[in-house]
Amino acid sequence: MSKLSKLRRREALWFYLFASPWIIGFVVFLLGPMIASVYFSLTDWDSFTPPKWVGLDNYRRLLTDDPVFWKALWNTFYYAAISVPLGLVLGLWLANLLNKQVRMRKLFRTLIYLPTLVPLVATAMIFKMVLAPSGPLNDLLGVVGIPGPSWLLDSMWVKPALILLSVWGAGGATVLLLAAMKGIPRELYEAAEVDGASSLRQFWSITVPQLTPIIFFNLIMGLIGAFQVFSQVYILTKGGPNNASQTMVPLLFNEAFSFYHLGYASALSWLLFAVIMVFTLIAFRSARRWVFYETEVR
Amino acid sequence: MTSTSNGGLSRRGFLGLGLSAGMITLTACGSDSDKPSGGDASAELVMTAWGGENDKATYQKRIDLLVAKYPELKVKLQLIPSDGYAQKVQTMIAGGKGPDIMQVAENVNVYSSKNQLLPLDDLAAKANLDLTQRFGSIGKIYSYQDKVYAVPDRSGAMIVYYNKTLFEAKGIKAPTADWTWDDALGAFKELTVPGKQWGYSGAGWWAQWWSFVYQNGGKIIDDAGKPAVATDEVIEALQWAGDLVTKHGVVPTQKQYADMGADIGGDAAFASGKVAVNTTGFWAINGLSKATIDWDIAPLWRGKQQAVTAFGSGLAISRTTKNPDVAFKAIEFLTSPPAQQQIIATGEDVPAAMEVQKSDAFLKPSWMTKPVNMKVFGESSEFIYRAPFIPAWNEMQKAFDDGLADFWLGKTDARSALTAVQAKLESVVKPAG
Repeated sequence: MSKLSKLRRREALWFYLFASPWIIGFVVFLLGPMIASVYFSLTDWDSFTPPKWVGLDNYRRLLTDDPVFWKALWNTFYYAAISVPLGLVLGLWLANLLNKQVRMRKLFRTLIYLPTLVPLVATAMIFKMVLAPSGPLNDLLGVVGIPGPSWLLDSMWVKPALILLSVWGAGGATVLLLAAMKGIPRELYEAAEVDGASSLRQFWSITVPQLTPIIFFNLIMGLIGAFQVFSQVYILTKGGPNNASQTMVPLLFNEAFSFYHLGYASALSWLLFAVIMVFTLIAFRSARRWVFYETEVR
Repeated sequence: MTSTSNGGLSRRGFLGLGLSAGMITLTACGSDSDKPSGGDASAELVMTAWGGENDKATYQKRIDLLVAKYPELKVKLQLIPSDGYAQKVQTMIAGGKGPDIMQVAENVNVYSSKNQLLPLDDLAAKANLDLTQRFGSIGKIYSYQDKVYAVPDRSGAMIVYYNKTLFEAKGIKAPTADWTWDDALGAFKELTVPGKQWGYSGAGWWAQWWSFVYQNGGKIIDDAGKPAVATDEVIEALQWAGDLVTKHGVVPTQKQYADMGADIGGDAAFASGKVAVNTTGFWAINGLSKATIDWDIAPLWRGKQQAVTAFGSGLAISRTTKNPDVAFKAIEFLTSPPAQQQIIATGEDVPAAMEVQKSDAFLKPSWMTKPVNMKVFGESSEFIYRAPFIPAWNEMQKAFDDGLADFWLGKTDARSALTAVQAKLESVVKPAG
């Protein structure tokens, strides 16, 4: 008995030794600053002079006295609520297409994944041109008789423009979904075919349920990514016009590094954390009803 | 010294919370500031500046001259890309490793109001440096509550660039400092070909429309330190600038700019001959020396009075420096005529020292490919207005960006836009003192 526990202890020691680079990194560079930011969120701090304790004042001001915060929160919701489902549906559709026996499948796969490899700054610059008031996109819309808006300059269209840019990166989800599709046992389809199920029925009753764990993964990552959207906003619009495209993280960045309100920005980051947490929890709760794991018996 | 110990106090307060994690990081920071110190002249000074390759080369040349004169001095130049400069310096200071000498500009009082810069009046007096004598009217531009926090280093008024070919084709004489708003508008109208060519690149940038505000007798921040943007003088000036776009069509709209290409603004539109007049700083000369259009420069036109924005930057000493005397000695030399000459020799910028601005080295730079009326800078320096470099500079700019977005699109008039901005500014700008 004692011998076993000695072995165990030794194993545990090795475990901590090997995990220590990660543990130290996590504690020093993530957990430490996180805890520190809780403290700073309760202070008025400009990063130069000592923080002044203000209690919950930053949170109160954010929630009751800052119209830009609510605007940014709404914009972030708007962006997440459309870009995440749209990205998933599009990813699923593209993966399904790529899963078919078509010519030059490999070429298409590469092409669809390629946009996610282009640096965001370059993509954003191209989008600026594509979305110009008389740019290619509006020319295209003009062909079918739709007068295109001046996307990035119009407070009503600037958010849809950002969503368009996010959909451009749907290739990332596609690759994951495609890999999962390849892993679905052929027998399921064969059996369904014997039973006379149409291909549409097969898609809904076999492909989608089998993919739910991957869809779920993409949903969670997509939600977190969408709530933290930064570079696109920062490069394309800087939050303008008049904060119409301002989202949480660029707002936070401005407060912290442009206005030197680090306490206020810390409070903002914790509110953002709470929002993301709530949505992730909702997603996990609902997951029990729609996500199926192969090993699971119901 | 006080701020070092204050910074340390905040760290210690932190440790008091018993955050083991924080401890590791912060003790690491702490050990840096415990370096053996002493006011010895041989200590290496760290100097931060922003810009690109040419800026780096120019600063380094000036530092080399400094070291040639005072071999005991050591200065390490840290050149930081402009976009990230403020954040980088902020991080350096917060980490207890602030630069000794730092380049500052419009946001100088972000630092001075937060007790990060050393007041330089006494050091200047000790070194027999008369700022007004060396730099003229802008000598004390980087002041806060009657104390000087930075020595001017680069400085140049905003100037008018005009396309000579287009002006000659219409028989319009070159712009002068005596042009009134009406003269300017009249010329812009003649130079405009709807949808193809525009008279003027626009005044949407603070440096531009603020010039008109001060020409009109208005002020952005009044003498008591309160925002004053909803006054008739300011409203009238902004409305004039906005009408150029929306009423007269002599300035490209935002849509028209966006159609010219990604990130095309006044400078690029002028270089390609699409707009006949552009108002910006010295830096455009560099880009235009390769342009195909024929151009020259002129001083800004006038309103009720003459006024123009100046651009520039100064050199400040951070509060954490161990060697304020040595740092000032370095700044004194870097801003003296021999070192300042390098600024124009490399075509980097306008040197702040008046003597150099009037010298042949400035009026006929060796690298200039065509005759350009460089006297314009000296001429303009006589009517530079004192822009309000308030501590909340960045927030003030954001308030204008947000509040005037609809105005520049022609969706609202100057009065209602500025009334809203005034309300916002009143909550952001706390009067000094």
